[in-house]
Order: sequence, then structure tokens, then C-alpha cells
Amino acid sequence: MAEQTLVLGMADLMVVPAPVKLVTLGLGSCVGLVVFDTYAKVAGMAHIMLPDSRGLRGTEKVGKFADTAVPALLEEMLKKGATRSHIKAKLAGGAQMFSLPGASAEFLTVGAKNVSETKAKLMKMGIALIASDTGGNKGRTIEFSTSNWMLKVKTLGKGVTEI
Amino acid sequence: MADLASFSALQLDAIRELGNIGTGNAATALSGLLSRKIHMDVPKTEIISIYELPEHYGDPMQVVGAVFVRSSGGFECSLIFIQKEEDANLMVELLLKQQFGTYIPADEIPDDMKDSALSEVGNIVLSSFLSAINFVTGTGFQISVPGVAHDLLSSILDVVASIYGQMGDTALLVNTELKVEGLEEDNKISGQIVLIPDPEALDLLLERLKVM
Repeated sequence: MAEQTLVLGMADLMVVPAPVKLVTLGLGSCVGLVVFDTYAKVAGMAHIMLPDSRGLRGTEKVGKFADTAVPALLEEMLKKGATRSHIKAKLAGGAQMFSLPGASAEFLTVGAKNVSETKAKLMKMGIALIASDTGGNKGRTIEFSTSNWMLKVKTLGKGVTEI
Repeated sequence: MADLASFSALQLDAIRELGNIGTGNAATALSGLLSRKIHMDVPKTEIISIYELPEHYGDPMQVVGAVFVRSSGGFECSLIFIQKEEDANLMVELLLKQQFGTYIPADEIPDDMKDSALSEVGNIVLSSFLSAINFVTGTGFQISVPGVAHDLLSSILDVVASIYGQMGDTALLVNTELKVEGLEEDNKISGQIVLIPDPEALDLLLERLKVM
């Protein structure tokens, strides 16, 4: 069966059986979280924008926040046949696009908070984070393929790395 | 904060008029800096889904040069001056030509000098935009040091999503395009000014404009 390519927009979340290629374009402060089970041959991705949904009026997109995306991904994985102890995760993104010396603006460091909240949530739910490429000041385009379970990370001016 | 969807046409018009005044001042200042004619579009106040932001400004995967500033005190907001990378390079060439009298092609200018020229242009445009707005609203303000980034449009615009994302799924933005006459004839250098009011600052703004 040919590998299907699915592109996730901001706040999207999906879990699909292999073979599949999951893609997120131009992540800045957002993070791309990949979860997969190589035995059950199923993979998922979320394009997370913000760390924390607290105090929010109801939004239907669970992929938007780290604290709602991680449990939603796990639930979908289990539904699609994954075994909890086999699920592994990879993470990329969370850059700080602009630095303004002296200016205090909480949203400028949201990338780092996205990363730390996602990691904390993964740990709490017992999902092993086996690779990550986060932080810095450059955006990332990511591609996860179930052909080799690798996450390709493209960064402007720095080329491509695989994690 | 006021619900964005409940903004009246009159309120949106008032905010747009502020954008108009800001843009006029920004164009005048930029024209002075570059000794060039500037064409400006009528600004638009737009309420846009944060999920459709990158497409709203063009190809999300295009490389852009962006200058970002934060304004605090009074009307709190963020401003970005976005240019396609080619236009940012032309702007840098133009500024250096006007200031030092010699033309140096962009690919021979060191990156840090390019960024410093870009941040100078961005700073002039954005701070004159802001001072006009604050003159109208009668509020004092401080403007941050500018930050410069070169990256995919989609990555740059994450900053807007992170400002408005916590409140809901839409952002209120004031968009204006400036065009500068380039070094060569018929060669226009475009730049997009995006005003991103802090969601909490919108009420204050409308109160000052007396269009509650």
C-alpha cells in the first residue's frame, strides 16, 4: 500500500494506521508531537499552539493545547489498537521567533512553555519521549514517516536532520 | 475583553481609522529616511481565524524578513513589519545606498549589517505608526527594541496565534501595505504592517475613541 501524506494545520490532531507520512509545515513557537507504536503500526501527530487550556471558554480543538492534546493522542492511539507500554513519542518545535531585549511579553517565550508542558504531560502519562529537537530561534517543518519511524526536521538555513 | 464577533461596523471603522493615521505617519517617516516616494494602501481591520492566518498573508512556506516591536503603557499592542525576503534585501540595499552613497548588492552585505538596516527601517515605520496612534488616543507609550527574524511566513505568524489563541479562535488585526519606489525604475519594494492589539487593550481603545 502506498504511503499517504497527511498535512496537519494549526491545532490539528490525528492518529492513523501505517503506512502514512504525517507533516506539519513551518512550526514557529508551536510544537509538533508525534506518538507511535511500531508493533501495532499506528502513528499520531498533534500541532500544539499553547501550553495550557486553563481558563478557556470551550474550544473544540483538543490539539491546540499541550494539556489536552497529549491525553487525546493517547486515547486515540489506544482506540486504534496501540498498547500503552509500546507507545513512544518524538517532539520538535517550540522556537522563540523574536527576542526583544528588555521587553517583557509572556507570549514571546510561549515556545519554551509549549515544550516543557508537553514533556511534563508525556511523563505524567508514562509515554517515553525518545527524541526531540526544540527551542532556538528558527522555525521547523517536520515529517514523520512510518516507513522508518523517523522524524525529519527541516530548518531554514540549517538543512535537514532526522531524529 | 469584548467578544470579537460582537464588534460593530462603527467600532471596526474607528480602529481602521487609527490604522490610517498610523500608516500615514509611518509612510512620511519612511519617505524621509529613504528620500523616496511611498505608496500606501487603505488599512483594513480584519477579524481572522487564527487557523487561517498564514494563508491570509500569502504562501505560508515563503521566506520573509520580519521586524517585531512591542508597545506597552497606554494602548498595549504588538506590531510586525513583514517583507518577502527579496523585498527585505532590496530595502536594505536602498537604505545603505541612501545613507552611504554607494550601491552594494545584498548578497555582499554581511548578515548582521543587513539585520541592523532592516531593524532600522522597521523601527522607523513601526514607531512612527505607534506615535500617531498614541497621539490620537492621548496615551503615553514605550516601544521595545525591535527584534528581527528571517523565516517561513507560517513560523513568523505563530506569534499572532499565541497572542489570540488563549482567548479564542479569532484575531483582530489591522493590515496595511506600503510600497517604496526601489532603486530601479518600476521596481516597488513592498512591506506589510500588521498591528496586533492586545485583546485586553481593545476595550480601552474603543473607550478612548468614544465608540463603545
